[in-house]
Amino acid sequence: MRGRAEAGLAKGELTVALGVVALAFVVLWQAWSIPVSPIYAKVGPTLVPIMAGLGLLVFGLALLVSALRGGWQPDEEKAVMPDRRALGWVLAGLALNVLTIGPLGFTLASILLFVCVTRGFGSRNMLRDAWIGAVFALIAYLGFAKTLNINIGSGVIENGVEWVITMVRGR
Amino acid sequence: MISRRDFVVGASGAAAMAAGLGSLPAQAQTVDLLKMFVPAAPGGGWDQTARSLEAVLRATGAVNGVQITNVPGAGGAVGLPQFLNNWRGQGNSLMVAGMVMVGSLIANKSPLKITTAVPVARLTGEFLALAVPASSPFKDAKDFVAALKADPTKVPVAGGSAGGSDHILLGTIAKAVGVPAARVSYVAFAGGGPAMAALLGSQVAAGISGYGEFGEQIKAGKLRVLAISADKRQDGIDAPTFKEQGIDVELFNWRGVFAPPGVSDADRNAMIAMISKMAATPQWAEMCKQRDWTQITLTGDGYKAFLDAEVARIEGILKDLGLA
Amino acid sequence: MEGFNGLMMGFGIALTPMNLLWCLVGTTLGTAIGVLPGLGPALTIALLLPITFKVEPTSAFILFAGIYYGAMYGGSTTSILLNTPGESASIVTSMEGNKMARNGRAGAALATAAIGSFVAGTIGTLGIAFLAPFVVDWALKFGPAEYFALMVLAFTTVSAVLGNSAVRGLTALFFGIWLGMIGIDLQTGQARFTFGVQELFDGINVIVVAVGLFAVGETLYNAATYKEGETKITPLKGSLMMTKLEWKRSIGPWLRGTAFGFPIGAMPAGGAEIPTFLSYYAEKKLTKYPEEFGTVGAIEGVAGPEAANNASAAGVLVPMLTLGLPTSATAAIMLSAFQSYGINPGPLLLQTQPALVWGLIASLFIGNVMLLVLNLPLIGLWVKMLNIPAPQLYAGILVFATIGTYGISQSYIDLILLYAIGIVGYLMRRYDFPTAPVIIGMILGPLAEQNFRQAMTISAGDWTVFFTRPLSLTIIVISVLLVVAPKLYGMVKARQAVA
Repeated sequence: MRGRAEAGLAKGELTVALGVVALAFVVLWQAWSIPVSPIYAKVGPTLVPIMAGLGLLVFGLALLVSALRGGWQPDEEKAVMPDRRALGWVLAGLALNVLTIGPLGFTLASILLFVCVTRGFGSRNMLRDAWIGAVFALIAYLGFAKTLNINIGSGVIENGVEWVITMVRGR
Repeated sequence: MISRRDFVVGASGAAAMAAGLGSLPAQAQTVDLLKMFVPAAPGGGWDQTARSLEAVLRATGAVNGVQITNVPGAGGAVGLPQFLNNWRGQGNSLMVAGMVMVGSLIANKSPLKITTAVPVARLTGEFLALAVPASSPFKDAKDFVAALKADPTKVPVAGGSAGGSDHILLGTIAKAVGVPAARVSYVAFAGGGPAMAALLGSQVAAGISGYGEFGEQIKAGKLRVLAISADKRQDGIDAPTFKEQGIDVELFNWRGVFAPPGVSDADRNAMIAMISKMAATPQWAEMCKQRDWTQITLTGDGYKAFLDAEVARIEGILKDLGLA
Repeated sequence: MEGFNGLMMGFGIALTPMNLLWCLVGTTLGTAIGVLPGLGPALTIALLLPITFKVEPTSAFILFAGIYYGAMYGGSTTSILLNTPGESASIVTSMEGNKMARNGRAGAALATAAIGSFVAGTIGTLGIAFLAPFVVDWALKFGPAEYFALMVLAFTTVSAVLGNSAVRGLTALFFGIWLGMIGIDLQTGQARFTFGVQELFDGINVIVVAVGLFAVGETLYNAATYKEGETKITPLKGSLMMTKLEWKRSIGPWLRGTAFGFPIGAMPAGGAEIPTFLSYYAEKKLTKYPEEFGTVGAIEGVAGPEAANNASAAGVLVPMLTLGLPTSATAAIMLSAFQSYGINPGPLLLQTQPALVWGLIASLFIGNVMLLVLNLPLIGLWVKMLNIPAPQLYAGILVFATIGTYGISQSYIDLILLYAIGIVGYLMRRYDFPTAPVIIGMILGPLAEQNFRQAMTISAGDWTVFFTRPLSLTIIVISVLLVVAPKLYGMVKARQAVA
């Protein structure tokens, strides 16, 4: 025991431990609802899922105990506060990418992701990053489209580029 | 979604032209671009059907370009909704699917029905075979059935995933000979390789698979076929059918093509005409022979009637197996 | 001697300029697709299947074999440099490999991976040429009971990656087992943990989880702790290539990795991942530098698993060429290519198509040499990649991970899973959970389960099968010894000390 001076309660660790316990209950509840046909009653489809759920429960509870006693991380690590703004930018980039990759196409969505992530890591030159992202994504897109004939998600930009390529070839 | 699809059509049309494929000028009845939807990964049976269709249709000048889209997952249950919704009304498109999809939709309790798509033609079938290792005491299907009747749990049978065509055949056999289908001991393997290995290594009593997969092992004397699930003796195959041995079982793992819902009657008829013509070509016959596919062409309304009966039949067997 | 003559004939076929060209195209393409997560050799060959309508069989198979071996090489590059494994068999490589890369030894890690792959690929191919019939006879003795025993053995390797807390490590392991359970149950066809989502019916791709946990999770973690101007990556320290000591430390792991990889790869249900786990475990136990594992990166932890993964790729071809058994997705696709030539692969393939088979085997040797020649000079270029400033490097990694996940399957579910698992990966890093056990649980959990249940069905519910079959019993005894022996040894030592 590391015997922390304060109340001995570690908020972050406690949340994580509770999350694991909650997951364990979801797993167990879902495992019990898997239908078992009479044929396979001996070793059915629920045995290992229930074991997984019980495993998560046991270790989740162990984590909970540990968290209530002050947590498992050394103090200096607890003291490190995550940079929320940076994290926010990256997460925003991921969310934007999911939302835009279908309607706007791979390249545009990648540019958005690229700009958000570089911004999160402290880059200020958004325009330059957008260009880098665009070139990178387009090379990837064309590489797939031209060598393996796979369309990795086309949208506005890709259609434009394809149009230009067809025009040039047509001449 | 729609804009992407339109683009794909344009781009691949251009690509096909650029690649010099189908470079002859379009003829009167030629379809410029046929779009095929394969609700499975590249390389599988449906995909091979699509690519063989492509080769024959192009070689015979029926189409200029073909574009194949694969949407794999859950025996076709992931792809089907996309075909039914996003491809609705597109007259130049076909989906390749088959018995496995019927089974997986029922087993997965999917609300969708294969019959929502417009049946165009049933094309090929692969009959299945029941085989044993060369050293097995079973000499024919009757031996196997006798053992099954004595104690089904002592006769483990290997095959593909639960609820697939192999499993369905075993259920059908059990039902035909009066053994409760739920009592047979079926060992599901992930794919034909591991199942065949278990059979070759005598880890199981018998195995079920497409005849083609067993063919070479039989020639090499490593396996013995007890029976095939065809309706009659097959040329070049020295194995009796189940029916010949008094077991009333017939099963084809069939594959066919469908048009999306909402196509006009004219489009549907044009597709049926194109596919019927293709199925009658020697090129197609050659292709089927190479791949051990039996031609069982059936088009339009006949196909639709067959489908309805097939869905009901498979649902019944899967219920017996405890899967539906 | 039959093998030798055959091989000579094979070289005669493979060494024509045209076939050499196909081999070069294949290995280059293979390396490229191996680099990409989500695009593996199976899918690539499947997409290239129409080529069989135009090209003669020998050339087509030389191309496919090149792609297959090339992908195994390529997979390690991104694992080491970007912590983004391209194939499931190179997940283990990223564990030590990426640590080495961050500490200035990317060149050495890439070199030991490339040379180890070459060594293992060459020995493995020799194995195909000369040992195939014996290996196959032996591999067929493995039934579900033996596989289950093998999984138990592989599970003991998790002890090597638990980190400094068994509780957190085992939590991660059970989380991985649960992830592996998601999807349709093979034995009964029942959906498990799919919450009605059709896309989950075929289960979650382990690559999505690995890239999510490693690459996305780490990007988030680094964003949260990043200080401008501060670099955590040392692009290069010391020489670019391997030092004499690093050579010395690599040779043993290469050979041991090959010894794990080839036979297990040849087993019909062996797979490529398990030998990499076993190799990692063995190297961690045998190394003279245990302090480097998990800290600055130990070269043994790259050399062994990389050799194991390539040797298993060679092993997979054994049942394919001798029995016509496709035991991996890639082998299955190659078999369907045989069929489009009207060749039915089976036990008689070698008799009926000797030119094809020996040409293929010879081209594997040539492909291996080509890959080495292609890859070693590229190392200098790859290492430069680590000079990219952190913001652009991490943004690039995320775009790259997205290509592999969404680009190939166009599945939103996969993309959302990738990012969600990335967030889990961030939390695991933040709260000191090891991530490797998740991958081990996810791969081994379902394998162990299915083999266990297959064995139980075959034995009609008799639990003793695992102990009455000699091979199965032996493996289980070894696993128990691996777990118990070190503790017993410690106890005896302690008692002696007291006495």
